[in-house]
Amino acid sequence: MIENFLAGSATLFGDPFTIGIFIFGVLGGMLFGAIPGVSMLTLAAILLPFTADLSPAQGVMLFAVIYCTGTYGGAITAILFNIPGAPENAPTAFDGYPMTQKGMAGKAVGAAVLCSAIGGVASALVMMSATEPLAQWAIMNIGPPEIFALVFFGLAVASSVGGRTIWKGWLSVLFGLLIATIGQDPVGGINRFNFGYSDLAAGIAFVPAILGFFAVSEIFIQAEKNVSGKYSAPKFNVDFPSFLELWAHKIAVVRSIFVGFFCGILPGIGATLAAFMGYGEAVRWSKNKNEFGTGKLEGVISSETANNAATGAAMIPLLALGLPGGALTAMMVAVFQMHDLEPGPLVFYNSPELIWIVFAAMFYANLSILFVGLIETKTILYLLKIPFQFLAPMILMLASIGAYISRGLVLDVIVMFIAGIIGFLLRRSGYSIPGIVLGLILGKIGEQNFAQGMQMVHYDLGTYFSRPICTILIVAGVLTLLKSLHSAFFQKPKTT
Amino acid sequence: MGKLGRTDIFEAVFWLLIAIIFFAFSFNFNQPIEIYKFGATGWPRVILFLMALVAFGNFYQAYSKGSAAQEGRVGAKENDEPIEYTSKGQYIKTGMILILPLLYGLSLKPVGFYSGTPIFIALIMIAWGERRFRFILTNTILIYAILIGLFMLVLNAPLPQGNMSPFYDISAFMLKTKTQLDQLF
Repeated sequence: MIENFLAGSATLFGDPFTIGIFIFGVLGGMLFGAIPGVSMLTLAAILLPFTADLSPAQGVMLFAVIYCTGTYGGAITAILFNIPGAPENAPTAFDGYPMTQKGMAGKAVGAAVLCSAIGGVASALVMMSATEPLAQWAIMNIGPPEIFALVFFGLAVASSVGGRTIWKGWLSVLFGLLIATIGQDPVGGINRFNFGYSDLAAGIAFVPAILGFFAVSEIFIQAEKNVSGKYSAPKFNVDFPSFLELWAHKIAVVRSIFVGFFCGILPGIGATLAAFMGYGEAVRWSKNKNEFGTGKLEGVISSETANNAATGAAMIPLLALGLPGGALTAMMVAVFQMHDLEPGPLVFYNSPELIWIVFAAMFYANLSILFVGLIETKTILYLLKIPFQFLAPMILMLASIGAYISRGLVLDVIVMFIAGIIGFLLRRSGYSIPGIVLGLILGKIGEQNFAQGMQMVHYDLGTYFSRPICTILIVAGVLTLLKSLHSAFFQKPKTT
Repeated sequence: MGKLGRTDIFEAVFWLLIAIIFFAFSFNFNQPIEIYKFGATGWPRVILFLMALVAFGNFYQAYSKGSAAQEGRVGAKENDEPIEYTSKGQYIKTGMILILPLLYGLSLKPVGFYSGTPIFIALIMIAWGERRFRFILTNTILIYAILIGLFMLVLNAPLPQGNMSPFYDISAFMLKTKTQLDQLF
């Protein structure tokens, strides 16, 4: 492994053009992740046609680097503005934004930098040492029933942590699941809920919906505060967390690495569920559950470690099985295809240099999060000093471009603004936007795997419980639901 | 009426209406799929049934315990402080901020990005409460220049050009100028 890693590193740093692409990927991912309104997906969508001019190794490496640094970059906007750069940063905003409101933005961003780097590096190391055996294990043990069970567990966790009540948490998730049914059904390709619009046959795209629910609705919330005279600019502070503060959360970091890696390795699941599960587990094991959501450092640490731990793991099903784990890894498949390559087991034998340059680049990209991130953080915190009258139209415009570019459809911009209005109204009433987005992202995956699973077990649900991983996940999901239902019926409401 | 508020009733009606409307529309694609017993409607109808069920739970919770957040709910804090509207002007201002972006989105096809954007930026600042003419003008130009510089000149991103004269001509002029600049360098 070490020899291959060194060979990959030598190829990466032996060619000035490849170094240039690596640096562009690191800075581009961080920048696009950290600008509210656009995300790493916007950058990736713009760059996709240009990768045809690069070598396959350079093209895939560029996207892998953007994936690592962009996942971290999205935490910055989640913490500073309550606008997650990507869905995987949504749980970071739960505690990150309250920390900013309390004048602790520096601590939150500092923790995000460090934990993203730790999660990413740990994930890259496991990926390098165990891609093939892990892929084999996944092939043997993970099928559609397990993926469906994990989606169910993830949605149960999301519904129990977001929203003003358990009912509102569930309604949010169900609303996301309902939006995901718009478009063709994943089994028979039959058009559903397109209301006569042919553009809706392809479904509601993730990017505009996510931008609308997160970025646009946040602008509307701030605008409403401004109109009613309740708007107050976030407090500026550049204090980083101390070593002792971070050391106190070492168990949360290790737990989130495991959670993130497990979610990342499963095809189609990716970093978003990893972040929610990492956060959910932090809440579950904490002695001070009620402090979550009010600006607790552990919330930021758990979510950011888990989502970056999933980035390396997500490369395992992609490279070993040819199955993408999310939108950006799906674009990597397109890069492979543009060069007449198919990701899958044969890539390890036909193009080992490609694999190892990507592995090495991801390792260094995660390390660079630590160094570039710490330098960049102090500058980025100055974003808080920009007046919102300037920032609001800028964010709306960037979001419009981000929504339009992914498919080249004006409809996506309109969908984004409608999602923004719905998100604004639902947030005012205490519904969970991250819950809606997770439902939207996991809806199709859940339905597809449920259908495949049912066909596999000949419609005998009992067979699901003869599979140990599936049983554990379903039982965990049901217990999570029962616990929240118990608290809904027997707990007194908050007396604030 | 227990502890029910007007919003709680509105919410219950909203979710039930969504469930009923989508259920009615599900008959449009109620076709069997040969390889899948539950067909195209199975999954969405289960979601709609659960939505109606949970909407009742939500209604019952509001009826028996009011709308306050449950203990341990993450992210509920900001929603615990609802903003009260004290004048018609506030409704109009918030309404404008909500509607303006949607109008911009709807105008993109005929007007295009290049012509519609500066007007929209200025209008959003005005809707936000900004009245200093120089601030609006300089910041509109600055934001527009950043967007054009980054997406048109550096990243060469395709943006909507509009299909109505004279907006289409303005877009064509911008793109022609960009091509000339590319040839220069």
